[in-house]
This record gives sequence, structure tokens and C-alpha cells, in this order.
Amino acid sequence: MENKTENSIVELASELRWKLGDNFHDRLTESLYTDASEIASAAVEMPGKERNYTLDSKIDRIVTSKRWGFPIMIGILSIILWLTISGANLPSGMLFTLLIETLYPALKNLSESIGLAWWLDGLLIDGIYMAVAWVVSVMLPPMAIFFPLFTLLEDFGYLPRVAFNLDALFRKSGAHGKQALTMSMGWGCNAAGVVATRIIDSPRERLIAIITNNFSLCNGRWPTQILIATIFIGALVPKAFSATVASLSVIGIALLGVGFMFLTSWILSRTVLKGEVSTFTLELPPYRPPRFWQTIYTSIIDRTLIVLWRAIVFAAPAGAVIWLVSNIKLGDFTLADQLIGWLDPFGMFLGLNGIILLAYIVAIPANEIIIPTILMLTVANLNLAGFGAGDGVMFELDSTMDTANVLAAGGWTVLTGINLMLFSLLHNPCSTTIYTIYKETKSVKWTTVASILPIIMGFVVCFLVTQFWYLFS
Amino acid sequence: MNPALINLLVFGALVALAWLGYRIFGAKDLLQSKIKQEKTLTEDILKQLFHVEESKSKATLDNLAGALQLKRKSIFSVVENMTQSGLVSLDNNSIQLTEEGRLYALRIIRVHRLWEKYLAERTGHQASDWHMLAEKMEHKLSEEQTLKLESTLGNPMFDPHGDPIPNEMGEMSNVEWTPLPSYSLDLPGKIIHIEDEPEVIYKQILDKRLFVGSHIKLIEQNSNEVKFLCEGVEHRFSSIVAANIHVAELNANEIFEENALRLSALTEGEQAEVIGLSKECRGANRRRLLDLGILPGTAIEIDLKSPLKDPVAYRVRNTSIALRKSLSDLILINRS
Repeated sequence: MENKTENSIVELASELRWKLGDNFHDRLTESLYTDASEIASAAVEMPGKERNYTLDSKIDRIVTSKRWGFPIMIGILSIILWLTISGANLPSGMLFTLLIETLYPALKNLSESIGLAWWLDGLLIDGIYMAVAWVVSVMLPPMAIFFPLFTLLEDFGYLPRVAFNLDALFRKSGAHGKQALTMSMGWGCNAAGVVATRIIDSPRERLIAIITNNFSLCNGRWPTQILIATIFIGALVPKAFSATVASLSVIGIALLGVGFMFLTSWILSRTVLKGEVSTFTLELPPYRPPRFWQTIYTSIIDRTLIVLWRAIVFAAPAGAVIWLVSNIKLGDFTLADQLIGWLDPFGMFLGLNGIILLAYIVAIPANEIIIPTILMLTVANLNLAGFGAGDGVMFELDSTMDTANVLAAGGWTVLTGINLMLFSLLHNPCSTTIYTIYKETKSVKWTTVASILPIIMGFVVCFLVTQFWYLFS
Repeated sequence: MNPALINLLVFGALVALAWLGYRIFGAKDLLQSKIKQEKTLTEDILKQLFHVEESKSKATLDNLAGALQLKRKSIFSVVENMTQSGLVSLDNNSIQLTEEGRLYALRIIRVHRLWEKYLAERTGHQASDWHMLAEKMEHKLSEEQTLKLESTLGNPMFDPHGDPIPNEMGEMSNVEWTPLPSYSLDLPGKIIHIEDEPEVIYKQILDKRLFVGSHIKLIEQNSNEVKFLCEGVEHRFSSIVAANIHVAELNANEIFEENALRLSALTEGEQAEVIGLSKECRGANRRRLLDLGILPGTAIEIDLKSPLKDPVAYRVRNTSIALRKSLSDLILINRS
């Protein structure tokens, strides 16, 4: 008897199920939310928290207006970049003097006085210490200026308006408006830019932002660009214009990076990332006076120091490798000479050379040490007298003229200069960024895509530029 | 000859080769579908027979070959094997499903529709890609996987096009619908199904952003075209296209929102109240909007328009939230 009722209940249930209608689930969740909001509005009081719409709207009407929206945005960004680049010179110079010109000889003396074996002295001081000191002195000051400024704007509430203004452009390439922010953050540091993609809550657009962040020319690459542009591009025009032309060409490279970012986003969203979930909502929070000291503190701790620490962790072994390849001898030649010999044909084919490729391999950890590594390898490879501080010791020259002379001795032409600028934009991210991408995506697949894709583009672009150059010259 | 020119030509040739290789690789699917594996072919035939029997007509070898776009002889041996294994029976020239065959066909249809539901709810694939992806998946999932899929999706009864999904036993909801051109004038109704084949017509309907669940009212009809009102917009379709939209009368507990319009149609300075979210607003997007408090009865108005017009920021519950047009199309409101 009991069984019978049970069965009839089950039967009735399965019969009724068909009558539920197809929007039953949606209705249910909707009513849960409605109930919750009714309970909340009845029970929660928000005294004095009424948003100041009049002031907010006034600011919003201006910063998102057709006429002023874009000029204000570009203006603020230029000011930040200018403050970062020019403001970092002084502290960078001081750190350089302290760490490399004062502490480095002192360490050398110390190791001599305690009688450290030459190879241990070389590996630890010339290799590891030098690389770490270099990265700290070049990287720390710009990051300590750029990130707090950026965080202040964020705290004020301006950045979401930038995303709001630019979303239409990003939408067309399948990306999220907030990618404008992570891209700008990438101009400071790609690793920080990748971490910043956390603000994008849609999985597909976030992956796009992570993979394309490397196309933002980061802090570590600006000095390389400026130096090479001054030597090779600036020299093409009369002296009066050379500074202007050089800076314009660097801006051109940065804009080319933005172009590649849009192109790659477009391709990714239509191919490999097609099936990832995509949503778009953007909250425009109320403006508020930035909490100055708190912002400075958190941006230095959260962004600058964490990134710097990762960079140091990766720079130390790179320093060791740079020293080792220049000092380990196979027969008559050092390992570096051998590698340069092997890489040279391929490098020349792309319009670069073996030294540049080797420098980009050993200096994966930090873009900052590319130029010192290239100089050191060139001098060592050609046995140039009167430059540098010995095999495996990175150095920089005080005058641009001297650098130009060393590079000319290495067989560099205008074409090599242009290609180096392009390759500096389009190559694999530094190892700090690669590691950060892995931490953020937890996926070997997307980390590999993000690392390989730009370098393939770099090879293709340099190759095409070189061949067309030869074709027309 | 200039070596640079040779290099460039070689590069160009390599790119062309890679592209060609991709096309051939892409076309491999087509090639394979010509020599489909027996299992896939059997299942496709079963599905086709099921649809033919549903429409109360009879299947012959010829029209089966025509519908599946295959040669007569290539399906002949398969049908023969199917007869032997008791899936179909031949009755002077017409092919019929046996009970076993019918259940098998329902299993395939079940996987197909569940997978379309999955693609709609849990992935970012576009509506126009669902069918093709499900066509592949329907031959792959085991019974156990299908059950798991069904329960993670919350045992749905309909796929995103409005077709009923068979349950484990092969039972499904019995829906009755009328093609839009033959629906009664001025009687409020709702779209309950949009046919996803042929793709050309389906895309045309998608372009106009008409969705399953939208309320409609027919204003004008003649043998060539229909004119109807849907969510505040007047549409004019040729009868051929409109015949792929299927409608039914509203339930007793549904109210026709005569003045309902899409949030995207709101203009600056107007006040409105949310009626609800379109059924097309699914998965993560739906949850996000509910999280933001866009619920029936919520007051909403435009706060800001971005300099490039899309997105628009709306003022809801004392916050300002920017939405793209593609999403604000899916929110229904009433001007107040």
C-alpha cells in the first residue's frame, strides 16, 4: 500500500514537471534576489551616505564629454609618463653611483683582501651582484614614481572613466575597456600590468589582456629605445631636429605596440579564445579625495616591492649565466663566442646579429640589462681595447658617442638599430612576467601562448623589414 | 636576382602554403563527413528518420540521401546493417524506425540539445556556432557523461532554441506552436522556438536580435510578409523567414507588456522601471545583472553616455553602471 502511494507521488511529480514551463529556474532565482533586496532595503539604513550626484555629474560631464574626454585622458597620461621618465633620472643616478660605482669596487677590494678564488669572485660579484644592482638601480625609481601616481588616479575614481571612454575601441577588437588601464600599467611594468588584469572580471577579455600586455613597451625597454633611437635615427637628420626625431620614433614604437595589441586581441578573440565566457559591466564609482599616504604605502608595498623582488630573484641567476658564458672556454673560444658564432647567421638573416640574440636569451630575466649585456658581449667578442671592465662584467658608457662607436665596431647599421627597436618591442616577455602570467592564469597553455606569440611576430616583422630594406636599397 | 627578393618570395610561398594547409586541414572535416564512420552515419540517419516521422511523412532511401547530402549507395549498406541490428525496418521502399531505433534517435537528440544548452549557458560561443558544435558532440558523449551534463545544467527541459530536451527515458515536453505567419492578428503571443536550420535564415533572425521568450504582437500579415511588434520595435519579415519563428499564446500567469521596450531604447532624461531580463540573457551575464540589483521593479535612468555612444552608464540603486548595447538589449523596461 505504502509503495503504491510512493509510486503515485513520483508519477504525479514527473507528470507535473512537464507543466513547470521553461523559465522556472530563472523565475526562482529572480524572486530570491527580489526578496533579498526587499529585506535589505527594509532592514539596512545608510545614514548620510547619499551619493553627491551634482558634483560627480559635473566632473563626469567633462571627463566623458565628446570634446574633452580624449584630450584630458592623453594629457594626464603624458604627464605621468613624463614625470616617471624625467623624475627617475636623479634617483636612478644616485642608486647607480651607490651600488655600482661605490659598492662594487668596495666588494672587489674586500674579496681580494680575503683572497677569494678568481672564479668565485667573478661569479658572485661580477655576475650576480652586478646584474641585481643594475636591475635595482634602473627599475626601482621609475616604478616607485609610476605606480603611486597611477594608484592615486585609481583611488580618485578617474580610471574607470577612462575604461568607459575607450570601451568602444576595445569592443571592436573583442577586448574589454578596462584593458586600456592594464595596457597603461604595462608601460610601467608588464608583470604589474598582468596582475592588474584582475580588474577585468570577464574570463575571455582577461586572458586577452594578459596575453597582449607584453605589447606595452615597459619601463625596462624605454631606455633601450631612447638610446638606440638617438644613435641611429637621430643621426639621420640635421642635428637641430635629431632629439625630436628620436623621441618621435620611440613614441612611434610605443604606438606600434598599441597597434599590435589591438590586432592580437582581435585575432585571439575570434580564434583560440572564442569559447571562453564573456561579460561586460563596468561600475563607475563615486569620486572621492584620494587617501594620499595610504595609497603611496600600498602601491609601494603591493606593486613596486613585489615586482622588484621577483625581478631580483630572476636577475641573480641571469647574472651568473652572463658571467659564465663569457668566461667558460671551449678550446680557444669562450662559450659566448661559440654561441654568437652559431646565432650570427640567423641573426643576420633577420637583420639583427648573433650578439643581440644571445643578449636576449641570457637577459630574459630583465629587459633593463639588454644594452649593458650587448656592449659587454661586443667588446669581449671583438677584443676591443679600452672599453669595459673585463669578460662577463656588464657596463654602460657615459657618452652616447662612445656607445655608438662600440656598436659601429660591432657592425651595426641603421637597419640593425631599427630592427633592435622593433625586436625590443616584439619579443618574449621577461621571466618575471612569464612567471606572473603563470601565477595569474594557472595554465601552461596560455603562458606558452603569451611567451611564444610575440617572439614569432618579432622574427617575422624584423625579417620583412630587413628584406624590404635590402630590396629597395 | 636580388637575394632579398628571393627571401621574400620564399616567405610568401611559405605563408601561402601554411594557409593552404590550414584550408585543407579545415576541409578535412568535410572530407571526413563524406566517408563518415559507420557509427556517426548510423546516428545521423536515425536522427533524420526521427524528424521525418515527427512530421508525419515517409522516408525513402532517396530522400534520406538527399537530406544528408550523401550518395545513395554510400548509405545503402549502412541502412542494410541497421535493418539487421533491428534499428529500422523496411516496408515496401519506405524506411521506418523500430521502437529500439526511435529510442536510439532520442538519445542522440538528447545529447545534441543538452550540449547546445551547455554552450549557451557556460561558454562564450556565439548562437550561430551552437548547432555545428553540437552536431559533432552528439556522437561523442557516453550515457554516463550525458547524465552528468544534464544534472550540472539543472535538468533543463528546453534547449536554447526552444526545442524540448528528451529525458533519460526518451520522454519530452509536448509543445505546440504556430509558425509566425499563421498566428492570429492582435493576439499577444511569445516566441517559443526559433529554427536554427538553415543557417542563413537563422542568422537573419539573430541579426534582428529576436529571441526565444520575447513577447510579440502581429500587426499585419499577407501572403508575402508579416509585420509585428516585439519589445517596442516594429519588424517586417518575409514569410519564408518568419515561418522559422514559432509562437504560442501566453500562459494564464503571463501578462503581455504592451509598452515594454529594451533598455537600449531609453533616452536621456527619461525615467523607467525594470520589467525583467530577456531569456536570452544567460549564464554569467544574467547572474552579473542580478548581482547588480537589476530586478523587476527597480528604477533605472541614463547617467552618462560615453563619447563613442556605446557603452551607456545607467543609474541603478544609487550606483552608476555602464552596459554595452548588446546587454542593454536584453533588459526590458517600462517608461514611467
